[in-house]
Amino acid sequence: MSEVLDAKGFSCPQPVLMTLEKIKQLEKGELVVKVDTQASRENVSRAVQKQGWTVREIKEENDEFSLVINKE
Amino acid sequence: MFRRFFQRKKPAKEQERSGIPCGILVFENTSEVIRAEKLIKEQGFSIKVKGPPPQIRTGCDLVIEFQLIEQLNIKRLLEENKVDVEKILPVKDYLLKPVDLYSIKDYGDYLMVRAANMKITIDKASRTVVNISGGGCPDVPFLARELIGTKLGQGPSPREMGHTLCGYALELAYEEMKRLCSQ
Repeated sequence: MSEVLDAKGFSCPQPVLMTLEKIKQLEKGELVVKVDTQASRENVSRAVQKQGWTVREIKEENDEFSLVINKE
Repeated sequence: MFRRFFQRKKPAKEQERSGIPCGILVFENTSEVIRAEKLIKEQGFSIKVKGPPPQIRTGCDLVIEFQLIEQLNIKRLLEENKVDVEKILPVKDYLLKPVDLYSIKDYGDYLMVRAANMKITIDKASRTVVNISGGGCPDVPFLARELIGTKLGQGPSPREMGHTLCGYALELAYEEMKRLCSQ
């Protein structure tokens, strides 16, 4: 079961910082990050990839994005 | 403090009377502003990059304010270096806004500096850039890709890579961050 981080309603750079904190704690595994702007989607994707995580999937529903990221 | 906040700005004529008469250089695009600023500053002239007054706003969101006494020298310098100036105008409008409006936010382990429309965030411990946001200019994703993960002052400079107002604002934020971190 993946962990879920709800970063909806936060403006940049907060979703990125929340995600960085979370992946620091997790170290590896799978995480679902929920955001509600295109900018946050791009910024979170970019930030996690720089940390060696992979963006496996981005689901879009009702102007919300769920980024499924993982690290082996 | 509140009295100061509510004080009316001085109209242009008063500004001119109390200071040195200034003019503005208007360019077609932001890359030319950035090139011109670099050239003029290298020669030691005192200039400021600002937002243009609404009535002269064309495609470019920046103008260079200079002291009118230096007009001929600056014009010659730009011509010699093939930088095209679209217009040179005297400053008559006090609505010119400086681009260097900063705000700083501390997020605990992270520090954010915003300059105009661009934000840069670093990890305080490692001084690594963790986020670039704001803007809306086409070069922002490129700038973010190049800068995120680099250590402050060790990576490429936004000024060298950017060609838009966002790139320019990001450079201001980047320099301010460097200044804050060196204190």
